[in-house]
Amino acid sequence: MKNVKDAILQALAILAVAIVVGFVFNAFSRNGINPFKRPARVPAASGTIEMRLGAIRAITLEEARRMVEGGARVIDARRKADFDEGHIPGAILFDYYDMGTYGDRVLPLLADDDEIMIYCSETSCDDSELLANELFSRGFKKLFVFRGGFAEWSGAGLPVEKGDQ
Amino acid sequence: MKMTWSQGTHPTGRLSSGGHWIHHPYLLLVFRLFLAAVFIYAAAQKIGKPLAFADEIHSYSVVDYGPPLYCMAVVLPWLELICGLLLATGVFIRGSALILLGLNAMFLAVIAKRTTDYVNGGTPFMKVYFDCGCGFGATFAWRKLFEDAVYLLVSAVLLFAPLHRFTLSFKRRSS
Repeated sequence: MKNVKDAILQALAILAVAIVVGFVFNAFSRNGINPFKRPARVPAASGTIEMRLGAIRAITLEEARRMVEGGARVIDARRKADFDEGHIPGAILFDYYDMGTYGDRVLPLLADDDEIMIYCSETSCDDSELLANELFSRGFKKLFVFRGGFAEWSGAGLPVEKGDQ
Repeated sequence: MKMTWSQGTHPTGRLSSGGHWIHHPYLLLVFRLFLAAVFIYAAAQKIGKPLAFADEIHSYSVVDYGPPLYCMAVVLPWLELICGLLLATGVFIRGSALILLGLNAMFLAVIAKRTTDYVNGGTPFMKVYFDCGCGFGATFAWRKLFEDAVYLLVSAVLLFAPLHRFTLSFKRRSS
């Protein structure tokens, strides 16, 4: 019984220290956030998103359109159901959260020096950035994140493909 | 008050903690150092990246974006690091073990939920593969579930062990 009481008291003390250290570190960290309001996301077309992703570039709708017309590789980082409902023409589905299935399927189609454009649903989603990070760590160096995503693309009236790939 | 490395001598004078073999002092030391290494490494992958970690927590669809999620992203890695360091040094072992027991139970539950979602979606159980956001990269779900179950058991053993040896203990000067 004494051990249980000790464990609970110790756990509370550890939790208190972790909260203090975590928030103090966060306040002085370059990547710190304000936890009490929604942290600002990197806006579309901000140029570079070096803070989070190193050498990966964020691009505008116009740049995305030119890349698609120029034959760049386009990767859709959303879920299959969203992809089937509509996607950017020529896009390849790569659900970031199903790396096992799509990694084996998509990575062999890509060359290290391919220009690869990645998008997800809209500005507020991060799957395109997370996938770009993953591809960067696997040696792909020409990565472009279209932060406006499918919402901005379809909203601008640009061509959309439907169905499975 | 001075700090000393204690061999944890039992009040009876015996070095052994006695009882079940799983409470053998050297085995408990191995368990402590193993769990410490796992959680220090996992924490190091997440500290200083609260936004990315918040995204990873959010991907489990358990906590929505907002202050609770961001506070978790700020505090959780430090909680893991502090527990790891305390286990390694042998200070507040039971408290650290209790926290890691709770964290591992939570991790097991959310990973099992996501795995079930994939299995219901048609992916065979043994082929479910994703990045759980734990700090160890993408892996097969069955392997992650097994690992977390092991961490859970080790935490429980450390929590309920009658005596720990090789601890950094605090002793009051008697003079």
